[in-house]
Amino acid sequence: MAEAPPEVTCQGLARTYGAGPDAVEAVRPLTLTFAAGQTTALVGPSGCGKSTLLRMIAGLEEPSAGSVGIGGQPPLAVRRRGGLSVAFQEAALLPWRTVEGNVALALRLARRPADPAAVAGLIRLVGLEGFERRRPAELSGGMRQRAAIARCLVTAPGLLLLDEPFGSVDELTRLRLNLDLPRLWQERGTTTILVTHSVSEAVLLSDRVLVLSPRPAAVVADIPVRLPRPRRAAMVRETRFLDLVDEIAAGLSEGGAAADRPLAAQ
Amino acid sequence: MSGRLLVGLLLLLLWEMAARTLAGTHLLAGPVDVAGWLFQHRGLVGRALAVTAGEAALGLLLGTLAAVLLAALAVLAPRRVAAVISLLMLFLFCLPLVATGPLLRVLWGPGLGPQVTLAALAVTFTSYLALLVGLRAAPPVWLDLVRSYGRGRLSELWHVRARGALPYVMAGLQIAAPAAFLGALVGEFTGAERGLGLLVIRALRELDAPATWGLATVAAGVTVAAHAAIAAVGRRLQAEPPLILAAAPGRLEGPLPVLAALALGLFLWAGAMEAAGLSPFFAKRPWDVWAFLFTDPEAMAHRAELALALAQTLRVAVPGYLAGLLAGAGLAALVILAPRAEAAVLPVAVALRAIPIVTTAPLLVLALGRGPAGTVTIVAVMIFFPTLVACLQGMRQTPRAVLDLFESHAAGRGARLLHAQLPAMLPAFFASARMAVPAAILAATTAEWLATGTGLGALMAVTASTSAYGMLWSATLVIALAACLAWGALGLLERAVLSRTAAEQLA
Repeated sequence: MAEAPPEVTCQGLARTYGAGPDAVEAVRPLTLTFAAGQTTALVGPSGCGKSTLLRMIAGLEEPSAGSVGIGGQPPLAVRRRGGLSVAFQEAALLPWRTVEGNVALALRLARRPADPAAVAGLIRLVGLEGFERRRPAELSGGMRQRAAIARCLVTAPGLLLLDEPFGSVDELTRLRLNLDLPRLWQERGTTTILVTHSVSEAVLLSDRVLVLSPRPAAVVADIPVRLPRPRRAAMVRETRFLDLVDEIAAGLSEGGAAADRPLAAQ
Repeated sequence: MSGRLLVGLLLLLLWEMAARTLAGTHLLAGPVDVAGWLFQHRGLVGRALAVTAGEAALGLLLGTLAAVLLAALAVLAPRRVAAVISLLMLFLFCLPLVATGPLLRVLWGPGLGPQVTLAALAVTFTSYLALLVGLRAAPPVWLDLVRSYGRGRLSELWHVRARGALPYVMAGLQIAAPAAFLGALVGEFTGAERGLGLLVIRALRELDAPATWGLATVAAGVTVAAHAAIAAVGRRLQAEPPLILAAAPGRLEGPLPVLAALALGLFLWAGAMEAAGLSPFFAKRPWDVWAFLFTDPEAMAHRAELALALAQTLRVAVPGYLAGLLAGAGLAALVILAPRAEAAVLPVAVALRAIPIVTTAPLLVLALGRGPAGTVTIVAVMIFFPTLVACLQGMRQTPRAVLDLFESHAAGRGARLLHAQLPAMLPAFFASARMAVPAAILAATTAEWLATGTGLGALMAVTASTSAYGMLWSATLVIALAACLAWGALGLLERAVLSRTAAEQLA
């Protein structure tokens, strides 16, 4: 049973590592709302704290302050019933399990009954038909990411958290995955939060882009993406696409410049 | 394959020639005599081997089960509790088999008890350590995956860590199987009715060279075969052993875990003795040992006797230990300079590493005599092979990119060895040096027991046979504590060195 897509709220969410003079502030107190059924991309320079923000939303990392609500519930409750899935930077497939076994693992972890038909269906949808019995070592990087996405979707989660899931594949494969896979969750209206450092990926996949400043993460621009769906490869050459990319890039460099200024001047 | 066969034949030929040339001055038996003796006594040796192998297998099973339970507990428990478990396991591992053997014989009485217990004790720590490293080696992202479905540590252990640890389990078993055989043999030395150990003791007493060499050949063959069989199973399971097994010891975070382990250890010791209702005549309690060493009217004499024996043992154990380490690391460095030699040396060293001390000690005693030189050599040989293997495997860990960098500057082999391969070897070298501490003490005390008649090994053997249990328990405790301290000191040195050369290795 698919979960209804939830609204996600962050109230004063912050993360600081260490204490005293050595403390490192990774995420400044943030108050944000991610609309139900929308795809929101978090973009920012490397190490700005966007993955930390995503991990706090998933409940994989404890915030130093603030709280997260997923459809009004804390992350742990949502995780326990398989209401959210995370796609990590690496595919994180267990090397001793086949593609099929890795996808089915999510159902076991979510305490759901085995569902071979759903597993086979998703493997087919992500384009891995014929590779069900293969182990991760026998797959290319792109195929592993497809298997990881199938694993994420097999529990039909209401919330999908994507932490640079296509960051480790080459540019061509990345474009193909960007065009093929999002349809699978966007058709279901899944609330999706995507972390990426690729501006064009953010525009291609999302309905809204939040531009984060260098560490500590703070939102420096909130840009709606009003491009029609489904998005196609040709779009990346259209003016409105390029304008959006330019606007986000400007936000990124302004955020960087703001962070480079001495604190007193900000 | 034909090359290896040729090397094997050449070795047999050299052995035969040495035996014939030195027959007048040394107790040596060549392969012809050995084969003749084995053929003549095949029924007896076969039955004895079956008994010992059965005890070793049972010990291996029980020891591995204990290791699995304790490692799972250590992974599920907070770090400090895990540290207490590890410390207690280390102490058990450092107990000298030479002393625990006779004690177990008294506690268990006749039968299989001591052999199986010693076999289990000999494998538990190495298997525990391998399992713990393996269970903790799961990449954080696998654990995140499990947590992202709201599952806890038990699910992590079941779905991810346990299967991920399989290569480490196989590597641990490769070391454990020969160790179990060694434990069973030592158990048999203490007065078993049957088994290979009994035949070894008899052959040694009668200075029967063909029998001693024949039995040593059988024991060595069995352990090498067990080692190879487990490696083959590992390959079948697609679980190639990882190269470095013993990770650097974690920081203890203060003296609390040590004190807790000490208190728990004393409690378990006294509790077990009391619960089993064992007579304080032979089953000494902590307070008996304390009285024997500190409050008894003769305490000072007891301490002096113990200190003298300890000094004698250290006089052979320390040089042997250092010589074994240096020779192992040195030969590894030489071999790596000549890559062709490496391919030839590594399989031989891996096989020889599996041969337990008890089978080689009598041979070296026969060949080198009963003086300190023989004991030092036994200790050095015991340390040499594991160190050689660990160092070779460690140097192979040098990242390809680093070697390419040296290549791109046309750097010589010496520079590459000094600046790239030796630093890459250090984690494996230190892990091996730590594991070698109890091994050195075991080798020294076994040699003293079987041959030289000095030091703690002899003291423990004499006190066991004269029922001087106060001294036996005290000697056992002192030597185990000394080994634990040496282990800890090496761990500190290791952390200090690796924090400069391989910080990523430190937990």
